[in-house]
Parts: sequence; structure tokens; C-alpha cells
Amino acid sequence: MEKEILESLIIDYIDNKLTTADRQRVEHELVNNPAAYRLYEELKEILHVMDHASRLEPSTKLKAGFESILNEEVKSSGRGKTVSFYGNFYRIAAAVALLVVGGSIGFWISKYNEQQAHMIAIQNDLANTRRLMLAMLNDDQSASKRIQGVNQTIGLETVDAQLVNALVNRLNQDPNSNVRLAALEALSRFLDEPNVKAKLIKSLETQNDPVVQIALIQLMVQIKEKSVIKELERIVDDAESLDAVKDEAHTGILKLS
Amino acid sequence: MTDEILMEAVKNGNLQQASLLFERYNKKIFNFLARMTMDRELAEDLTQNVFLRMLKYRNSYREGSRFQSWIYQIARNVFSDHYQVNKNRFSDHIDVEKIGEHMADRDESDEMLEKEKLLHQSMAKLTEEQRELLVLTRFQHMKYEEVAAIMDTTVANIKVKVHRAILKLREHYFELEKI
Repeated sequence: MEKEILESLIIDYIDNKLTTADRQRVEHELVNNPAAYRLYEELKEILHVMDHASRLEPSTKLKAGFESILNEEVKSSGRGKTVSFYGNFYRIAAAVALLVVGGSIGFWISKYNEQQAHMIAIQNDLANTRRLMLAMLNDDQSASKRIQGVNQTIGLETVDAQLVNALVNRLNQDPNSNVRLAALEALSRFLDEPNVKAKLIKSLETQNDPVVQIALIQLMVQIKEKSVIKELERIVDDAESLDAVKDEAHTGILKLS
Repeated sequence: MTDEILMEAVKNGNLQQASLLFERYNKKIFNFLARMTMDRELAEDLTQNVFLRMLKYRNSYREGSRFQSWIYQIARNVFSDHYQVNKNRFSDHIDVEKIGEHMADRDESDEMLEKEKLLHQSMAKLTEEQRELLVLTRFQHMKYEEVAAIMDTTVANIKVKVHRAILKLREHYFELEKI
């Protein structure tokens, strides 16, 4: 892709302004082109700092200055009415009260708008990170990219069904043991999420990588999941299980019983 | 009440309504000018000037036109007049090193403060036009359409220029970060 076009697309990507097709083009480029990924990280940082730069407050001098300018202008325009304090006391009091109420409402509304804008920015950030994570998790070319994708999920507070499924797929089917182990570690952090535990138990039945089998058994023992005892017995009896796995399963049965 | 109705009232002699417009816009205009001049004190003086011109030239406000575009156009003129009258450009007398201290608010976290300082220093290295585009679109979160109205040009043109300015800013920012 031409450099200038890519740069512009990455900015729109961060701002979440792209069509699905363009978004996928950018994600493909980010996964496969390290220079583009670096550019993305740098632009993200700089846009974030700009978007969240503190708002500057003018001093009270500004308002006082404006009021005196306004008074001057009212006087010199000749059409401004001079207000007699005593005659209009109640009107002034009412105006002041109205200003205070209006000011508070305005303040509240602007605070609320600010918070909304902040929320939307955070949501956009999250959506981008999540999409990138999924793209990395499903990268068939590079195991280290997949591990990187898995590791990024560890930083999340919660995961949704799509991410859980992507992680479970890595755990059960990845050709690389390290990716499987990383996926197991990531999933073990989300045991409270619906289905995660059930999917791990299910994986014990189908898992064919001995290193992962052992790690899975250890995890089940650690969380005291007694329902896997039957499955552990099957592993012990299975002629195809490796001895090391059988030993771990046996220890597991003893600890859980 | 919309800005436009208030401004029409001001134009028709009801000057007190200008207070409401001041309330609505003084912080925005002050922030715009502070980011442009990189000098808070000067920005306050110039903001004062903007509202003075709003009153003085109230008759030049065209009914039906957008107030926000009009007041920002005044602010841009006040800014460029200031540097023309003083016969020196912004870049001639700004000390990039000191900008961070001038601009930052004290209650930010150290890391953010550092980054914001770096940001202001990088902003100072941009052209006036680039800085202006970033202040309006990113710091003030204006839509490209609004900025196009203020600068009297097309949305496509603004978008291309904003993207170029962001990329240029990134170059300066990460160059400065290395130092």
C-alpha cells in the first residue's frame, strides 16, 4: 500500500472512522508490516495525548475585564439603559438567581458532555485493541504474533464470547505448544466468566499435547475441580497417554479425592 | 437560546446578551489562543480583544450565519494581527524549551505531564496553520465541517491538511523524545 494512503488510513483507523473493508485492510497491514505497526503505536500515543490534553482555565481577570468593556460599550452606545439599583432590586436579585441556576445547569451539562466524550474515546480505543488482538490471535503465519495476541488479552478486565472462543481454539488446535500454553494461562485468568471453566474441562478430554495436558491437570487440581476425576481416570487407563501425563493425572486424582 | 439569536439581539442593541455569549465562548477562545500563542497571559489579553471586537463590530455579523465560525474568525484575526503589529512571527520569539512549564496544569500525573510538555514543544515546531488545525480538531474536538466553515475551505482539504499536520507532529514528538 502506498505510504501516504496507509498513514492516512491508520489515523482514521485510530479515530474509528473507517468502513469495515478499509479497517480490515489496515489490520492486515498492521499484523504483517512491523513498520506500520510502529507507526500505529506512535500515532495512537500522540492522538491520545492531544485528545486528553488538560483544558486551560483563564484567570478571573478575564471576566472582570469583559464586564468593564461591556459597560463602556453600553454607555457609549447611548441606547443601553442605565439600571437604577433600588428600583430594580428584585429584578436584579432574580437575574442573579437565574444566573446561578443557569450556571450550575450549564456546568453540569458540560461536565456530563465531557464524560460522555471521554467514554466514547475509551470505547473506541477498546474496540480497536480488541480487533487487533483477534487479528493477531488468528494469524496463521506467525506463532509469536499469536502469543503476542494471547498475552494482550491478559491485560483485559473481562473478555467476551468471541475472544474466549478464539483463545479456546488456540488452546485446542494451535500447532505450537507455547501458544497453547499461553492461551491456557490467559483463560485461567477468566475462570469467573461464563463457560470458561466448562471449556477448559472439555479441553481436557480432547487435548493431545502432553505439555498442555499436564498444565491443564495442574490447573484443575489448583481450582479443586472434582468433576474431572473420571476424566483423569480415563487418562490413567488410556494406553496412548504418555507416562508423565499418567503420573500427573494419578497425582491429581489423589489430591482431588 | 441559540448563539445566533443572542448575537442578533446584540446587533440590534441589546448589548447585555453579549454576557451570555461571553460565558459560552470565553474558555474555548482562551484555550484556542493559549495553544496558538503558547503563552497564557498573552492569550488572556487577546481573548479580551476578541470580545471587544465582537461588541465593536457587531454590525458586521451577518444574520443567519453561524456564530461559532464568526467568533473564531475574529480570534484568528486577533491572533495574526498581534504578530503583525509586533513585526515578529511567533517562531521568532518563542523559547521551545520553556513552553512545557508555561502550559501544563500542575495536577496531572508525572507521565502525562511529561508527555504534554513534549506535545507542546512539538506543536511549537509546526507551522501556524498546522498548529491551528490541530488545536481546532483535536484539542477543541471540532468536526472537519466546522473547521472548514471557519477557514472558508472544503472539508476534504481540511482532512488532508489535518492528517499531514498529525504526521508532522509525530515526527517532532518522537525526535524530541529521543533527546
